[in-house]
Amino acid sequence: MSQVDVSMSKPEATLANEKEACFHCQQPVPAGFSLHVEVLGHARPMCCYGCHSVATTIVEQGLTHFYKYRETKPGELPLIPEELANLEDDLVRYDDPDIQREFVAANANIQTATLAIEGMTCAACAWLIERQLHHLNGVKKVVVNASTERVQVSWDAESTRLSQVLRAIHQVGYKALPFQQADLEASYDRKRRGYIRRLGVAGIASMQTMMVAFGLYFDDIDDTTRLYFWWVSLLFTAPVIVYSCQPFFANAIRALKARTLNMDVPVALAMVIAFIASFYATVTDTGDVYYECVTMFAFFLLAGRFLEMQARHKAVANAANLMKLIPAIAERQTTDGWEQVMVKYLETGDVIRVRPGDTIPVDGELLDANAWCDEALLTGESRPVAKSQFETLYAGSINQDHPITLRIVATRQDTLLAGIIALQDSALEAKPKFVRFADVVSRYFVAATLIISTLTLVSWYFIDPSKAFWVTLAVLVATCPCALSLAAPTAMSGAISRLNRAGILMKQSALLESLPKIKTLCVDKTGTLTKGKFSIIRSQYNSDHEELLLMKIAAGLESYSEHPLARPFQRLAKAADVTNARNIPGSGISGVVDGTEYRIGSLSFIKQWHPEFKNALAPANVFLASKDKILAEWQVDDEIRDDAEETIAWYKSRGVEVIMLTGDSNLRAHTLAQQLGITDIRAQLKPEDKLKAVRKLQEISPVLMVGDGLNDGPVLAAANGSVTFSSGSDLAKSSSDVVILTGKLAGLRRLYETSLLTRNVIRQNFTWAIGYNLVILPLAVTGQVGPLWAMLGMSMSSLIVMTNSLRLMRNAR
Amino acid sequence: MNIDVVAALVMGLAGSGHCLAMCGGLAAAMGYQRSPMRLFWYNLGRIISYAIAGFIVAAAFFSISKVHANGLVYLRILAGIMMVLLGLYLFRWNRALLWLEKAGSYLWRYIQPLTQKLPAQKTSGYVFLAGMLWGWLPCGLVYSALTWAALSGDPFSGAGFMLLFGLGTFPAMFLTGVFSQKLATVLQSSSFRWIAGLLLIGYGIATLFIAAKQL
Repeated sequence: MSQVDVSMSKPEATLANEKEACFHCQQPVPAGFSLHVEVLGHARPMCCYGCHSVATTIVEQGLTHFYKYRETKPGELPLIPEELANLEDDLVRYDDPDIQREFVAANANIQTATLAIEGMTCAACAWLIERQLHHLNGVKKVVVNASTERVQVSWDAESTRLSQVLRAIHQVGYKALPFQQADLEASYDRKRRGYIRRLGVAGIASMQTMMVAFGLYFDDIDDTTRLYFWWVSLLFTAPVIVYSCQPFFANAIRALKARTLNMDVPVALAMVIAFIASFYATVTDTGDVYYECVTMFAFFLLAGRFLEMQARHKAVANAANLMKLIPAIAERQTTDGWEQVMVKYLETGDVIRVRPGDTIPVDGELLDANAWCDEALLTGESRPVAKSQFETLYAGSINQDHPITLRIVATRQDTLLAGIIALQDSALEAKPKFVRFADVVSRYFVAATLIISTLTLVSWYFIDPSKAFWVTLAVLVATCPCALSLAAPTAMSGAISRLNRAGILMKQSALLESLPKIKTLCVDKTGTLTKGKFSIIRSQYNSDHEELLLMKIAAGLESYSEHPLARPFQRLAKAADVTNARNIPGSGISGVVDGTEYRIGSLSFIKQWHPEFKNALAPANVFLASKDKILAEWQVDDEIRDDAEETIAWYKSRGVEVIMLTGDSNLRAHTLAQQLGITDIRAQLKPEDKLKAVRKLQEISPVLMVGDGLNDGPVLAAANGSVTFSSGSDLAKSSSDVVILTGKLAGLRRLYETSLLTRNVIRQNFTWAIGYNLVILPLAVTGQVGPLWAMLGMSMSSLIVMTNSLRLMRNAR
Repeated sequence: MNIDVVAALVMGLAGSGHCLAMCGGLAAAMGYQRSPMRLFWYNLGRIISYAIAGFIVAAAFFSISKVHANGLVYLRILAGIMMVLLGLYLFRWNRALLWLEKAGSYLWRYIQPLTQKLPAQKTSGYVFLAGMLWGWLPCGLVYSALTWAALSGDPFSGAGFMLLFGLGTFPAMFLTGVFSQKLATVLQSSSFRWIAGLLLIGYGIATLFIAAKQL
């Protein structure tokens, strides 16, 4: 206790003392009170004996660092946070071209940007924003996405400015700012905190009002106390109505402004009516109060919205996280060496250097001879990929080996990674049928709710006027289609998130809905069932010669060929020296090694030397021969994907007919099909034949087409659902509904399983939501269910639907 | 189920802004804020101590109601006064309860040395014990709640009353650690204190009113 100086001097009542704040708890020190503790070398004022004791202990235990590092907050904070205050003035900044380059893509005079909207909750909001922007001169195209809360807008730079677009959105009551992945997290955090604050206020108030309500239910209390309790509840409920419920009111007003209905209309109506009636009862000391209903209703609804928001955030967070990995600074080549520069200032054509272990910030072509890249971020494949000179390296991949230099071909919004992220986002954009269905149904439901409530009020007024009010309130609350409108969107978010995590990109989420109905699966051969890379499957060497020598000869000869079939030979062994090499396109190569002339190539090419030769290895398609004899036979073919057989067997076991459509020769196609267990083969098809075949199959049942994104474009577009395996630059161009990034056929199975699961979840949700509403309606109308129970039932119903949808996010791998 | 239950919870809740600033600071200094488990144990210990205090005080006053017929009514008047003082206390008129805290700080002198024997931050058990000791900090809020516990009639409902009071302070103490500092600023904001203070004074006056009628 030696170094602690606790002074407890008698008060020297000064005026200054009054403004002093307690060093420990930062609340004002009462006038004339003087108690000090020495902390960090100064005598600090304390406001009470409690703080004095605590501070003394903290000092004695050597914990004074707490005082050094704690956050000291300003004492007074208003309960309601300031909003949109200075936003207007900041908007003009966004017209600065330097700032715009980060988020605006320009095409001649037409500029396009994605804006993040705050405060958007439903289809009505989307409609409102769309209409508002279409009124603006110079706006060319507006796509509003209610589930990701983003707007994609294109405008003519000559007739309008971005700041005007932003201002127009503000005028209808939303906050719009350029969308940047980095801001996503921040705005989510802000929203989350807002919800927690609102939940906190509603939670504390509902606890209090419930306690009071219980007291009122069970006790014989005299009128004075009862009235006092009513006032207490009123005090607690007022902040809930003014602050916590604000989102519901705002939504309801927006919907009414747009001359439509959403589920917040009956919600807001119920709350306002209940509050006003209770307020009236309190002031006039007559009738009944419903404070606990209002506060608990608000609390549960907010909790539901909060959960939904978190689920939605999870669905888009995957994409956003990718962008975070791009470094902010790069090394650019200048005339006097290398300089550090912000990645956002890099331009196409610049040359940059990337150190080993660093993430490549832009798409660029390799200037060095070779490189190894980890493209796991893009493809899910964690093995490093070899790149040779002038090949394109993609933003987001990691340089594995040695320092490399790149010439930039695409920056920022144009990179492949940005393309992938855009795809993930747009999957949430298209509205599948069942989401539209829910929108429409819940709109009618709301209308029905309002009509039934009115009828209930009128009928009960004649039956028993004293009950009319609370029965109507119960009907209004019980029949609110909250669960119904959550049923499909939450399940879709869950499913898309689940697939994204497995490396499956949905471009059209509607496919999730149609997939379970599909009974025919058409697959392309090259690049789909096979890897699209040729390799030596089987080989047979003439036993009179050393194998290695033959391999070297083959490698030497094939090094003069550009044909894809020649590739695997070039890697087979160290190439022998070849003289007089001749490349005969469509046949093979001839050349001289150590004085002997050899030929490598097709059967017909070899038969020119050995007319009576019959291949010993049946599927062989490449041969090596000298003038005297045949030296080696190879079967060079596309490698089958490891999981092809398994996946096809699985689809067949689900009762899906699997058909192979290929442009390849009959024989090769049949060999492969046999291996994989495919019985229906349509070979030697030109693209238009494939299209005809699919059209024909569609007459019987819907078709899922799996193919190569570039060559099979028309077929993919024609099929009811389409899947491609993509990596690299063709990703964005491919016309399919789904892209499997992992390059694994097993993704097809996961896709199918997920769509079945999603369909089941949505059906369960609808069944529950509609069933619940139908059961509770007659009970509420006949006065069997009070407002409190109606509210609890409705909240539980929504939470059950949410929880059911969240199941989709679990066990994603 | 009676008014006192509500009163106990409201007292705890209304006062939790103060708890946060004082005991919350302590918990932060001790590093309990870092894990929800520790925070939980600390607060549980604190509340248990309150309950023990409630038991003792209620037991001591139990006899009064036996000795004097009107004893409980006088106690009720005292409790009403305490409630009003607590309301004033929340209006930043700290003097209202300072004399009580001062009395309590004599008791604290005996308990405080014990806190130093505990390891700074160890297992949940130690954190729980630390919480129990810290529960005896001189605190006007606790003392005014104790006057209510005193008139509850028997030791067990006294303990129960203090338990509820503790539970009232629990959400604020616990949730701010787990969720965000924002809640603290709400609870400490003048509007909240103003409402809570008014409420408590109202309770107090109502109690005095009822007690006066019984005299």
